[in-house]
Amino acid sequence: MRQVQFWLRWSWRDLKARWLQVLAIGIIIALGTGVFSGFGGQKKWRIHSLDESYERLNTYDLRMTLTDGSYLEKEALLDTLRDVNGVTGVESRLIIATQVDASQDDETILVQGEIVGVDVAAGGPHINQLYRNQGRDFTEDDSGQNVAIVEYKFAKHYDLKPGDALHISGDIPLDFVGTGQSSEYFYIIPAEGVFLGEASYAVLFMPLETVQNIARREGLVNSVVMTLEDGVDRKAVEAEIETRMAQAFPDTGFEMNTRQEDNIYKLAYSDAENDQVTWDIIAYLFLIGAAMGAFNLAGRMVEAQRRQIGIGMALGVPRFWIAFRPLLVGLQIAISGMVFGLIFGAILSTVFGNIVKDFAPLPYWIIELDMATFLRAAVVGFLLPFVATLIPTIRAVRVNPIDAIQSGTLVAKGGGWTKLLNYLPIPGRSFARMPFRNILRAPWRTTLTILGVAVAITLMVMFVGFLDTFVATMDEADEALLGRGGNRVQVNLNFFYPVDTPNIQALDDLKTAEGEPLLAETEPRLMLGGTLKRGDTEIPTMLELVKMDSPIWRPTFVEGSLKAGEDGIVLSEKAAKDLEVEVGDTITLEHPLREGTFSFRMMSSEVRVTAIHNNPMRSLNYMDMSSAGMMGLEGQTNLLVVTPSQYANVNDIKRALFSQPGVSSVVGVQEYLDAFDEVLRLFTLFLRVVQIVVLFMAFLIAFNSTSINVDERVREIATMFAFGLPVRTVTRMQIVENILIGIFGTLVGLLAGWLLLQRFLAARVEDQLEDINLVIVLAPTTILISLLLGVLVVALTPILSIRRMLRMDIPSTIRYVE
Amino acid sequence: MITIDHVSKHYQMGTVTVTALQDVSLQVNKGEFVVILGPSGSGKTTLLNMLSALDRPTIGKISINGQDITSASRTDHFKFRRETIGFIFQSFNLFPSLTALENVQFAVDMRGNGNHRNGSRAAIAQEVLTQVGLGERVRHFPHELSGGEQQRVAIARALAMGNPILLADEPTGELDFRTGIQILQLLQEQALNGKTVLVVTHNREISRVADRVVELSSGQIVRDGPPQGGKAAISDLHW
Repeated sequence: MRQVQFWLRWSWRDLKARWLQVLAIGIIIALGTGVFSGFGGQKKWRIHSLDESYERLNTYDLRMTLTDGSYLEKEALLDTLRDVNGVTGVESRLIIATQVDASQDDETILVQGEIVGVDVAAGGPHINQLYRNQGRDFTEDDSGQNVAIVEYKFAKHYDLKPGDALHISGDIPLDFVGTGQSSEYFYIIPAEGVFLGEASYAVLFMPLETVQNIARREGLVNSVVMTLEDGVDRKAVEAEIETRMAQAFPDTGFEMNTRQEDNIYKLAYSDAENDQVTWDIIAYLFLIGAAMGAFNLAGRMVEAQRRQIGIGMALGVPRFWIAFRPLLVGLQIAISGMVFGLIFGAILSTVFGNIVKDFAPLPYWIIELDMATFLRAAVVGFLLPFVATLIPTIRAVRVNPIDAIQSGTLVAKGGGWTKLLNYLPIPGRSFARMPFRNILRAPWRTTLTILGVAVAITLMVMFVGFLDTFVATMDEADEALLGRGGNRVQVNLNFFYPVDTPNIQALDDLKTAEGEPLLAETEPRLMLGGTLKRGDTEIPTMLELVKMDSPIWRPTFVEGSLKAGEDGIVLSEKAAKDLEVEVGDTITLEHPLREGTFSFRMMSSEVRVTAIHNNPMRSLNYMDMSSAGMMGLEGQTNLLVVTPSQYANVNDIKRALFSQPGVSSVVGVQEYLDAFDEVLRLFTLFLRVVQIVVLFMAFLIAFNSTSINVDERVREIATMFAFGLPVRTVTRMQIVENILIGIFGTLVGLLAGWLLLQRFLAARVEDQLEDINLVIVLAPTTILISLLLGVLVVALTPILSIRRMLRMDIPSTIRYVE
Repeated sequence: MITIDHVSKHYQMGTVTVTALQDVSLQVNKGEFVVILGPSGSGKTTLLNMLSALDRPTIGKISINGQDITSASRTDHFKFRRETIGFIFQSFNLFPSLTALENVQFAVDMRGNGNHRNGSRAAIAQEVLTQVGLGERVRHFPHELSGGEQQRVAIARALAMGNPILLADEPTGELDFRTGIQILQLLQEQALNGKTVLVVTHNREISRVADRVVELSSGQIVRDGPPQGGKAAISDLHW
């Protein structure tokens, strides 16, 4: 027992002598294990929270959506579906596109959105229930009243509260009674398929009868949600529904999807799954960085004791006890790394949980500590430094005592690869040469330090490269969407109207408050949902029928062409790639065909790909307006593209058109991009945090390396001082050495980061964001900043050792032998 | 000329005051080969540290060539060491990452012969190494040299500084007799060439070849004069 106390006391002194390095390595390991434990269990709690939220809101099992522009009598539809075998509940809705004005005294909030008419009888809706965040629930008395519950994320984004002013298209005022969430809107992705986010898309839940009145669709609905018996054969249910619908409403097209096929559902779950893979890779990279740091420090610490180890062996001390001392220091690092790691992990887990909660709020969160992940991190955090100490310790106790005792054994000798420099003369004084020599004299240590720095830079490059890629993709989308028609405004109509209808013609005569013309140009178009098919590949699309000689805007072709009056389709690059087609090939387009005023059915037509356009959004595909006949919509429009006159701006148009009958939403094309920028801003913020963490890691690794270097070379430094070499010159030499390490580490990091970015994005993000053709780039500024930060942070760490050098007892250090 | 004027050095070890040097006065002339002799703890290394401006006396003054180094600033101390002193250490203290030639070139660089091009600096270093008999070993790293060779590189390094005073701290302490003799011979030659050489040692035999022996005991000079029994030839030494 006494012996243990003796060794404990000694190792405690070792710890005290190197407490800063031990702490630094502990923190490096903590960063690694912290990320590992903090992010390791996120998939589990996110999926658990999603399961809980979907179940408790009684989310539909099967959803039927009528073809765009189709409506059916509510009772007739419900009668058709109610007694289908296996269906336990049916509720109908009416969902209408609209423009929402939630402007407050100090802020104009005019966005596009949709009103969702739901059954409020007997505490409804019962399927796809609303989780109330603020205000009150619907009551039966609300039926037919202009009351709305605003989707929570939109309200939160603009800090809207029940009671605030709220209007929809037609300048209809609404009583804002509450905010709430519904499982179909856990993420806000409007029908156009372009990710707009909650900042620019509002969902308002309202009583069904109210929406029917506002939309002048009395008694009509266009969506049904159903719950099914547990274990029922869904295919059989769907088949029976199709049969019944074909009999009851032969002219009305519809689509059905299960909950699991819902885009929002898929996104929510795949996000949790894919995020986990992403975080696992990042955690492993952090752990590798920590491992480099741990092996570097532990190995050099043990080597520093090698002479003492040799003396111990010469004195006949058993190897076990000799190894005990360095292993105890390893243990101390292990414990500090583990404890800090778990604390850091808990903090990260909480921070990450809050970010996820903020980004994609769910009504029910079950953020639980994943003990298995935490224990795994604890074991890794413990083993890493312990093994790092064990290996050099075993090596140290296996050498001949006489070799270990010899003076100078512990110091990295002038060998290594330094002879290489004999063939590469470095000009200048010996001071200029020494950093290069030092780098090469201990290649293994240098490599570990370089790799440690490289891992940190890899992480940074990967993250910032992520951002660059999104920005580059957005720039491409910018260029494609804006082009020379950047000031155009899209006016979505709530239905198909003849282009010569008086309401549309009247738009040309709209004036500003000053009596000046509001619009410069007006052009009718068509926007339709459909599916592109080839072989087994199916891609949902928003097909826009554009006049290909439009003076306002038309798509820019990167290949092929489509002239006004010609047949054919212009595909996005991503759609063409996914369908594996080129210009000249033929694909199948499933599109709506108008059968009656309110009825459409889907039909398939063969169309030739005549061109490829430059927008990275896969779902945006174009045909010429002359193809409208193919959809039974000749002379019809549901989308107007207008440009403001010299006397007006986008907001003026929005305000003026807001009250026009038939207008569901007015969106400046720039707003699509602004919305994406908003999403990107959050992402950027998160990346900045990670950037700081990885820079801190690079700093710690470099600091440890420099600090150990000063320890190891203390006698050389003292000798230099004895010869009158100033502290600044010695520091400069260390800085040069660190610059070299920084440059190598950063270059390796840049390369690894770039490779990971490509593989990572290609393998993961493209799966996750299948609707976007990502332009994978690393911006020159990112490369420059990585170089600067990587090299600078590492280069400047010797400055922290100046105080130690100034306080050095030169005479004692010179005479100090080991 | 080195002038040590009533120098004392006290260290505070907790509550105890330890006197390392007590009222030491001494003058050393240019070209003298002086051995400072004394047992462990006699204060000889403390004296060497103060002569080299690595430490300051508690009381008294040290002047070298008329320059008071006791009151000089830290920066001046660095400059003083660069321009006045050449160091030789017991355990050589060569830079392990530099070859023998580069270790010596380091000193040439230190001396600030900045006008020399890299080639001519190397030539100077080569020349000094040849002087100490290591002309064939210039490309070797310290760990590839024997102890004697390493010490000769250390001497070459000190000589390459071109400074007028050479301070050697137990220069033969880690060497065998034969090698030690060679080193002493080299040091003696430097004195003959006009450099002031101060050698600190506990080895009384070495003091026999000095011009003058300053013997310290308990921090005080107990004897100052020529070697007892007269100056011996290096070939007469044995230990």
